[in-house]
Amino acid sequence: MTLSSYVVRRLLQMVPIALGVTILVFFLIHLVPGDPARTILGNQATPHRVALLRHAWGLDRPLPVQYERFMARVVRGDLGSSLFYGVPAGRLVVDRLPVTLWLIGFGALLSMVIAVPLAALAATRRNRLPDHVVRAVPLVGLGFPQFWLGIMLLLAFALNSGRFFPVGGYGHGFFGHLRSMFLPSLTVGLGIAPILIRSLRASLLEVLDSDYITTARSKGLPERRVLARHALRNAIISTVSVLGVNIGFLVGGTLVIEQVFAVPGIGQLMINSIFQRDFPVVQAVTLVFSVMVVLVYLLTDIAHALLDPRVRFD
Amino acid sequence: MRVQRVLFLLALSVATAGVVTAAALAARSGPSAATPKRGGSITIARIEDSQSFDKTNVFQNESIWITEQINETLYTVERDGKTLEPWLATSYTASPDGRTYTFKLRPGVKFSNGQPMTSADVKFSIDDARAQSKGWGYLDAAIKSIEAPDPSTVVFHLKFRWAPFVADIALFSNGIIPKNFAGQTRKAFYTHPIGTGPFMWDKRTVGQSVTLKRNPFYWQKGKPYLDSVTWTYVSDQNTRELQLRGGQIQVDEFPPFNSITKLQHTPGVTMSLFPSTRTDYLDMNENYAPLADRHVRRAISYAIDRAAIVKSVLFGYGKPANSFLPPQVPFYDPNAGGLQFDMTKAKAELAQSKFPQGFKVRMLVGAGEQVENAIGQIFQQQLQKLGITVQFKQEDTSTEFSDISNRKYQLGLSYWTMDIADPDELVTFSVDPAGGAYSFYTSYKNPTVIALSHKAQREPSPAKRAELYSKLQRIAAQDAFQGFLYYSPYRWAYTSKLHGFFVYPLGNYHLEDTWLG
Repeated sequence: MTLSSYVVRRLLQMVPIALGVTILVFFLIHLVPGDPARTILGNQATPHRVALLRHAWGLDRPLPVQYERFMARVVRGDLGSSLFYGVPAGRLVVDRLPVTLWLIGFGALLSMVIAVPLAALAATRRNRLPDHVVRAVPLVGLGFPQFWLGIMLLLAFALNSGRFFPVGGYGHGFFGHLRSMFLPSLTVGLGIAPILIRSLRASLLEVLDSDYITTARSKGLPERRVLARHALRNAIISTVSVLGVNIGFLVGGTLVIEQVFAVPGIGQLMINSIFQRDFPVVQAVTLVFSVMVVLVYLLTDIAHALLDPRVRFD
Repeated sequence: MRVQRVLFLLALSVATAGVVTAAALAARSGPSAATPKRGGSITIARIEDSQSFDKTNVFQNESIWITEQINETLYTVERDGKTLEPWLATSYTASPDGRTYTFKLRPGVKFSNGQPMTSADVKFSIDDARAQSKGWGYLDAAIKSIEAPDPSTVVFHLKFRWAPFVADIALFSNGIIPKNFAGQTRKAFYTHPIGTGPFMWDKRTVGQSVTLKRNPFYWQKGKPYLDSVTWTYVSDQNTRELQLRGGQIQVDEFPPFNSITKLQHTPGVTMSLFPSTRTDYLDMNENYAPLADRHVRRAISYAIDRAAIVKSVLFGYGKPANSFLPPQVPFYDPNAGGLQFDMTKAKAELAQSKFPQGFKVRMLVGAGEQVENAIGQIFQQQLQKLGITVQFKQEDTSTEFSDISNRKYQLGLSYWTMDIADPDELVTFSVDPAGGAYSFYTSYKNPTVIALSHKAQREPSPAKRAELYSKLQRIAAQDAFQGFLYYSPYRWAYTSKLHGFFVYPLGNYHLEDTWLG
């Protein structure tokens, strides 16, 4: 199977997944107690005024009728209007998507920047002090909650003596984003780096014991070249898969990170919309999140195949 | 979000203990005698994003307080929260039967588009506001018709004598906008409203920020001092505090009670506590048989250790409530006689009830709501001594609101903040079951109290209204239809360079007086 037909097949497989997610979320969010009209009007509004608003939004209709109306809109590409803001839910999500993609992409990049040298250091100094440190410290780090880590980074690098980065926000322009998103992305990266380090270290150790590495060394290649050109390329394949599999973790992590760093991304929108019972936005965000995760899995598989020619598309 | 706030709070406590060294000089709030300086911009970080700027239909404070910078009213509330002062009007006269009010408009007032404000704009604005059935129109229900006999005079004809009329006219929803929405559709107008206020619309990024800039046509010469004001949305309280300390924002809305002392001792930060109209209550649903018994409600009210709540939950920044009305509302009676903590009396009351051995009761508390959970714990301990077993039901805020307003609860917690400088809105909501809220969702019904409320609505003499409301508060207090818990201040932290920032008892603020030093 060619790459293009493989991609098309995988994309087609996404349709039932997305549909299933949307159905599940629609009923879950509507079955959860709580009322968007009451939430928006507050506790000082009389039940009569709440009822008027519920009627205006069509929330007083039976759930199957609401679902039918929702699906009729979805097939036309309309995810409905936010109950809170009164603007299209799809627009709210699209406006925030680049922010979250920045966070996930930059976070994934930083996790690799952290993981690759540390794993290489540990693997090349097996059972020596650097190896023990690299194995132990990230494990401890894995135990720290991300919100705590985020606040620590803010205190260290955005406040007090070291005001290198802003305390939250998204910034303006590419370099503004780069500066504003560094600490949140680093928090994301530090969260996933321990997993990558362990995986990459194990792969490297396996590869470094291979015959072709012995051959490379016996040819007189410098150790750095053996590691970078021969060992790492093969060892990193499994790490890319690990990163891909953990992308769900990264996406989930953005919910917390975006709150701590006041990053106006999809995660923050999701949390607020759940608490406001802004049904259309919750549905839209979930749909986008699920499509994102499936797409990342697809990209991971493609990357895996490109890095390892033995892998075939089928 | 609420759970995370608690976790973040814990995290910050650890963080501050480990990383932050002891802070130095305290910067305390207070009016500045210095000459105001013109220029500069500020950013105010809030707990919620603004929802809408349609003042006639929005109920969210984070939206209302911004619309008040754009749209002004004929009369406004003074700093005491009780007195009304002329604003876009200069005066009014009422007919002897109290059914006709004639307002004289302030000359020289212009909208931010340069158009002069006339009586036609006033008539249009208030006619539109009172037509909003899903909005605040119900507060204008006494108005029969509005006339604009000349450009500077507006006449209101009422259906009946209505004592709170001028207070209602001062409500933000009755703010003045250009006639016919300045030629736009209603919806388009309220995406970037036009008004006579100190600031005018600049830009908004939904979910992130709203920016207003100086209105060059503002009628108070020389004001506002600030070039622009931006309101951002930063949901996490720790991040707001860190942004304030880092200089990224100038104002932090509602820092939590447990950070007040720390902020008071943070250099460069002013931590202000403004007297508010916020009153917190324990709601007791009379549809649950034990709570329909007056003696039981009185026993519970006596068993609430309000001082302990103020000390441990509000960290001392509040005071026990003695009426369902707050002190910052007109006709509040300081001797209303709300029941106070006394376990001997609590036991005596329960002994007289139909449930002398106690009973089980379920209490709704907000999941992750630190304050509510702490109050719940205190209730549980005190009521246990009476043989009343309190079981908690944790719900998120939306569900909690819904269950209380649908009266699907036994004990619950709620609060109120005033919208107008008159007790009528709260009194009707709280003690008149026909007022639409089933007496604050408690089903309390005392014909004497209801009659007093109706009489006070039509009574023109302030002295007689004071008598009526005093009597009403005293009876309601003895009925213990709610447990009146505490009065707490509005909490605002801001850069010490900011001057003239004052939060009114209704929760709003006038930014035309605010300046950066």
